Amino acid sequence: MVSEIIRNLAKDLRVEFRSRFAINISLAFAVIATLALSLATGGIPFPPRVQSVLLWLIIFFSAMNGLSHIFVREDDRGTSLFLLVSTTSDAIYLSKLIYNLIFMSVLLAVITPLFVFFLQVNILGIPPFIISVLTGGLSITAVTTILAAMVAKSGGKGPLFTIISFPLLLPVLWLSIFSTAATLESTGPHGYGTQLFLLAFSGFITALSFLLFRFVWLDE
Amino acid sequence: MEAINLARKFGRTSIFRDINFSVAAGESLCVTGPNGSGKSTLLRILAGLLSPTTGKVTHTLDRTIPKDAWLDHTGYTGPLVNPYDELTALEHIRFAGRRAMERATADSFLTRFDLARHRDKKVRYYSSGMKQRLKIILAFLNDPPVLILDEPSTNLDARGKDILHTYIDSIRSGKIIIIATNDPAEERLCGGGIQLGQ
Repeated sequence: MVSEIIRNLAKDLRVEFRSRFAINISLAFAVIATLALSLATGGIPFPPRVQSVLLWLIIFFSAMNGLSHIFVREDDRGTSLFLLVSTTSDAIYLSKLIYNLIFMSVLLAVITPLFVFFLQVNILGIPPFIISVLTGGLSITAVTTILAAMVAKSGGKGPLFTIISFPLLLPVLWLSIFSTAATLESTGPHGYGTQLFLLAFSGFITALSFLLFRFVWLDE
Repeated sequence: MEAINLARKFGRTSIFRDINFSVAAGESLCVTGPNGSGKSTLLRILAGLLSPTTGKVTHTLDRTIPKDAWLDHTGYTGPLVNPYDELTALEHIRFAGRRAMERATADSFLTRFDLARHRDKKVRYYSSGMKQRLKIILAFLNDPPVLILDEPSTNLDARGKDILHTYIDSIRSGKIIIIATNDPAEERLCGGGIQLGQ
């Protein structure tokens, strides 16, 4: 199983690196949205709660441009049957999840410093801020990976993905906005309750998705 | 491999019903019939990629194999099995090889199917016949005891067909080979046949 996951992940990274479609679109959106916001405010900093909302909006819409691509591409290009006869469905799910985690990490690594710099965000607790961004990104990835598989199989493609993801991600976004805002507003000791909840939520969704994936991906 | 009372419907439309056969190691079976008669559907059911509406398929090696493990010992190719445009033939072989593939093994397959010169070329630049040769290599790659080949000579030129038929003849001992075809030359490769759409 581990070797299958590694083979499939290496294949996905190679295919994506050679086309660079999803990552370029997502990063372009993130950079343009951040710069547009910065220009629109004319250098006046927003209150911390508004900064947190804007940060998560940019992360959400940038991620939506790319997280579905890994499954939708297989169905669009007609390679899903070849993938299925070459790898087990368990290995397919886990390798695509890891791919999406790498994708989300790259997005967060680009978006967060850009946002902090251009919107003059004053972070009062750096470690809790980083943990808050990472756990929010992890939860978005866990939910959207299985949704991407469903959307690819439904033939609905990109626009449907964002629409069905939004209500399911609302609790995750709300908690992430809340915990990120707390790290921007307060210098006092930070509790990690929200971040722990998001970690547990991600684990639960991943376990459930792993068990159900074969019923989504196989045309039974 | 044994199929008992297989039937498949899509919605209310019945594609086929009452399909019964058994094939043992060393035997081969051709599935023939006009377009739309359900040849590809039947082969996908036999490979475990689709469930029958009614009936049952069993794969037995030294014991009955659970359905989710059928593909571990089955080589399958068909018109809907498409390789990745961005990868080369060698990269496909490394990806599809279930165990670590020796370079010499990969080279011997590429040479036999006349793709050695194109091993490092991306599939995007292959002709349809070259893609078909690669698809056939990928089905044979892991030396599976069951081969399920859906229209394997599609897009192949005369030389490609000759290579394929010679190779099938050379490996048929101990294997189950099931071919969906309407090509009389391929039908002659099989010991028995099922005609669908009658």
